[in-house]
Amino acid sequence: MSVWLENAIARANSTSDWLSPIRSVSLAALKDTPWPTRKTEAWRYTSLKSLERATLSPSPSVNQDTPEQIDGFESFNLVFRNGEFDLDSLTQPLPAGLMISYLPTASEEMKQASLDEFSQIKPGRHLFGLINDVLAQHVVRIEVAEGVSISQAIRITSLIGLNSESHTRVFVKLNKGASLTVSEHYQGNVESLNTGFVEYDICAEAKLEHYRFALQTDKAISLGGCHFKLGERADLNSTLVGFGSDLSRVDTDIIYDGEFATAKLNAFYLLDGKELFDLHATVEHAVPNCTTLENVRGIVADRAKAVFNGRIHIHRHAQKTLAELNNRNLLLSDKAEINTKPELEIYADDVRCAHGATVAEIDKHALYYLESRGISRSKAQVMLNFGFINELIDQMPNQVLAEWIRPQIRNRFAEMEVTR
Amino acid sequence: MTEQIDKALEREYEAGFVSDIESETFEPGLNEDIIRRISAMKNEPEWMLEWRLKAFRVWLEMEEPDWAHIKYSKIDFQSISYYSAPKSMKDKPKSLDEVDPELIRTYEKLGIPLIEQQMLAGIAVDAVFDSVSVVTTFREKLEEAGVIFCPISEAVHRFPDLVKKYLGTVVPTKDNYFAALNCAVFTDGSFVYIPKGTRCPMELSTYFRINEQNTGQFERTLIVADEGSHVSYLEGCTAPQRDENQLHAAVVELVAMDNAEIKYSTVQNWYPGDENGKGGIYNFVTKRGICHESAKISWTQVETGSAVTWKYPSCILKGDNSVGEFYSVALTRSAQQADTGTKMIHIGKNTKSTIISKGISAGRSNNSYRGLVRMNPGAQGARNFTQCDSLLIGDQCGAHTFPYVESRNPSAIVEHEATTSKVSDEQMFLCRQRGIEPEKAVSMIVNGFCKEVFKELPMEFAVEAGKLLEISLEGSVG
Amino acid sequence: MSNITPTTEKSMLTITDLHASVEEKNILKGLNLDVKPGEVHAIMGPNGAGKSTTGYVLSGRDGYTVEKGSAVLDGVEILEMEAEERARAGLFLAFQYPVEIPGVSNLEFLKASVDAQREARGEVAYTSAEFLKLAKEACKQVDLPLAFLKRGVNEGFSGGEKKRNELMQMILLKPKLCILDETDSGLDIDAMQVVANGVNSQRSPDRSFIIVTHYQRLLDYIKPDFVHVLSDGKIVKSGDASLAKELEAEGYAWIHNEPKDELEGDLL
Ligand SMILES: Nc1ncnc2c1ncn2[C@@H]1O[C@H](COP(=O)(O)OP(=O)(O)OP(=O)(O)O)[C@@H](O)[C@H]1O
Ligand SMILES: [Mg+2]
Repeated sequence: MSVWLENAIARANSTSDWLSPIRSVSLAALKDTPWPTRKTEAWRYTSLKSLERATLSPSPSVNQDTPEQIDGFESFNLVFRNGEFDLDSLTQPLPAGLMISYLPTASEEMKQASLDEFSQIKPGRHLFGLINDVLAQHVVRIEVAEGVSISQAIRITSLIGLNSESHTRVFVKLNKGASLTVSEHYQGNVESLNTGFVEYDICAEAKLEHYRFALQTDKAISLGGCHFKLGERADLNSTLVGFGSDLSRVDTDIIYDGEFATAKLNAFYLLDGKELFDLHATVEHAVPNCTTLENVRGIVADRAKAVFNGRIHIHRHAQKTLAELNNRNLLLSDKAEINTKPELEIYADDVRCAHGATVAEIDKHALYYLESRGISRSKAQVMLNFGFINELIDQMPNQVLAEWIRPQIRNRFAEMEVTR
Repeated sequence: MTEQIDKALEREYEAGFVSDIESETFEPGLNEDIIRRISAMKNEPEWMLEWRLKAFRVWLEMEEPDWAHIKYSKIDFQSISYYSAPKSMKDKPKSLDEVDPELIRTYEKLGIPLIEQQMLAGIAVDAVFDSVSVVTTFREKLEEAGVIFCPISEAVHRFPDLVKKYLGTVVPTKDNYFAALNCAVFTDGSFVYIPKGTRCPMELSTYFRINEQNTGQFERTLIVADEGSHVSYLEGCTAPQRDENQLHAAVVELVAMDNAEIKYSTVQNWYPGDENGKGGIYNFVTKRGICHESAKISWTQVETGSAVTWKYPSCILKGDNSVGEFYSVALTRSAQQADTGTKMIHIGKNTKSTIISKGISAGRSNNSYRGLVRMNPGAQGARNFTQCDSLLIGDQCGAHTFPYVESRNPSAIVEHEATTSKVSDEQMFLCRQRGIEPEKAVSMIVNGFCKEVFKELPMEFAVEAGKLLEISLEGSVG
Repeated sequence: MSNITPTTEKSMLTITDLHASVEEKNILKGLNLDVKPGEVHAIMGPNGAGKSTTGYVLSGRDGYTVEKGSAVLDGVEILEMEAEERARAGLFLAFQYPVEIPGVSNLEFLKASVDAQREARGEVAYTSAEFLKLAKEACKQVDLPLAFLKRGVNEGFSGGEKKRNELMQMILLKPKLCILDETDSGLDIDAMQVVANGVNSQRSPDRSFIIVTHYQRLLDYIKPDFVHVLSDGKIVKSGDASLAKELEAEGYAWIHNEPKDELEGDLL
């Protein structure tokens, strides 16, 4: 076990607040969760060495960063600084039907109610999910009332400073027929640790448009995730954009709780240098008649390493499930590495299920086509590779966010070297 | 409909009889002394015994793997007998006339005549009964071509240099728990050597039969195809119907030198246990081949038997331009569990691999494909194509796919596809509207599903495999 | 004319007051039809009228429930029989949308069906060689290249090829009653001629046809003895070949018994 983990547990043990009942449960679970090694299936390709080496301090200097400007993006802003919620960040008045509560200062009643929701969506969380359970204190809860549509997005920005540990937890509840857009941003490329988990309880007929921009690079260690629960006829459209860092891992879990729900998950990552990005996406089809479409694409350059584990689990009675997972990868250098594992676990017979994974070169025909139009080979390669990601940017429902991320992706891509 | 199909899947296990043969069987237990006794029974040279003992010590340090998608009661290795042989085999019959007729009858009943005149022309058979090889046919004819095909226990004496040179080179002793155990206690199996530039004039096949109660079968097969040679080899397996589980832990090693080609086919029909999952063989097998330059190894397997199957025939594509193939049909029904697939390790340049896996699950069974495709940094221009299809029959079974893809070369191409389907109501109705019995319809549709794999089997066995599937599906519709 | 009261003359198929439903939805609502040996009956009618359903109910597809009524094929009541038994009794359905069976070769499939039917009639099975000869002939007759015998059943066939493949099966199986469900849809002019020739060549005094079609053109090639209009699960009009021409000109607008708006109830 790492020294850091011992310290973390000690810190959790000495904390006493309204979350203590939950904390003790997770602390107990932590005792039975060994420190992941290469032999731990969920961490097979992702080493925790950089976490073991990192210099972290529970009380780092004050974080003065500001959330990156996104031109034209109208949003309610929630900001965490080094894991602490910035009470001043939410300046606008909230429309009727939208409630945002900072739980430590909320009413006893609200706290009690939240305890029942907390950590309920995904059972069997991994070590860092449990760590987040026991160390997150500044929990924020967002709720949209039944039938209410909130047109303006909620932006959650987590600013992570040097040597800081940021353990944030947000709980989002969309009541029946509600609709909402949430965009999660993680910012800070310095040596630090971030376990940012957001739980989404999407009730019947509710609709969530979701983004997670996991763009921390360099020495920033990030081990977070999103857990979605979908009620009957609920709809999720989620986009995940990832850059790698020394250690960057996202766990996305979609759990169907009501029939005829649908989820679309698009994810893409561009990795350069010695970056690592690990995405574990799990879909639990626990009820019949739900549909999942998953598209995951990665470009990996230099000495970077991509890990993708896409698991679709169709439970015994989940008949008439439709689930598709497509994973495509491009390697740009002979020192780069891709490890992908698209798993299917199926216990119902009347389902349509398919997955595909490719690791490939750029399509030679397309390359030839562009060259025949006078475009240089290297330029053509860039165009084609970028097109591969651009397709997913085009599918982002929010145009403003798409146009904000597109040039960043393009720049990042332009800096990547094609060495083969 | 599903009910009908399920019924069609209830079948008799035709090979479930017991032969009444007096055997010499070791008492259950596993220790160094037992290993010395096995070695002594085989009259082995010192180096072989040392090799076994070393493996045993390695095994003692290892842990049983638990990553496969299977559940089974813990194996008590001390309750297994590690050697059993018909008494009549003790004085090593020189020819078939001296072999106990009951043994010959056993194989006849299984559809494997051992008398050369009655045999399918063009197929040589090594018949392994519990821990010994009973007879190997057509040996003279093969030796004329320079081909060695004999029990491995005999090869240890006659061709010690070849055995020493290759044994344990493809599957090292400590490769895995069951392989290590096999190294320590293996009893018999086949040894094949095809000299340079030789095309083996016949199909070679080994037929494994477990007969004795409470014994395990630990066979070891080693096939070496020297430069530019070619061989096609087939193995079949059956066991009596018993309430206890029996362990089968084999190791197969293939060496394909430059430009050589080995085609290895398996029709595995060990006793699968009864409807409720009682009894049946635990089949924990390690099979691996190494391909040198421009060599090709092709694994084809039809797995219908065993209570538990744990098996990943693999190819190490070491030489440039070498080719690995894996074609598999795995049918599970009742309470059977299979976790099977392959590993393709691309090391050389322009290496190619193809994986076609067809899993059929029925009853309350679980059927998993588990595969690894690895492109090493040096595997310039390498390619893999993988297709995994699952067919579910009924809503009580499971079909799973666990593919691992690891690529470290930008010019390598890996393509993996997986689909899941069922026998559709429309397909069934079309067949029935044309007057075809539902049962026959299911087996036709399932056979069609497996076509790509069956066409890889040697002719005679493709028919046999089709029939096996048909028998397996019998009664599934009514 | 559609004979509600069967005549004393022997019938090939008599459907009397047939009511049937699928997924608890009533589709056939009192269908009557009498087909004499050797006759060709055309059934036309708007989309969703129940034409395909009639074929499925007669041939015993799972999921179709007979509420009431009878269907007698050549003197035998068939509605209680299994699908394969009806096929062996001589009923053949050419599907509107033929399904694919990957990996099962057409030849293998055809032999299995012919064998099954011959066995049921107590006839000896054809040898492979005999059957191959017959199959090749049938293949030629519907103008499909012989390679189609080797391909998987309907696997990757074009729309028109699938239809011809259905016809080939009909020719080999020699049924008593053939129901062709829109076998002409999606065919080019030449292919339609092929289908018509196929049917005409099989016409005989002891074989009858029910041809479901939307186009009168086919009926120029295959002369029907009767034309019926099926609407909302019943035959609403019967006539001779000229009725088809009339329909072509006027459509189905004259059918006034529009179904009640089922949603109306929900709104009240
Ligand atoms: N499984 C089903 N569930 C619900 N309704 C069904 C089902 N199958 C058929 N129907 C309905 O039954 C009605 C009759 O269908 P049918 O296919 O018999 O029509 P048809 O006369 O052949 O039409 P077309 O000319 O378009 O082929 C349609 O309204 C159709 O939607
Ligand atoms: Mg129709």
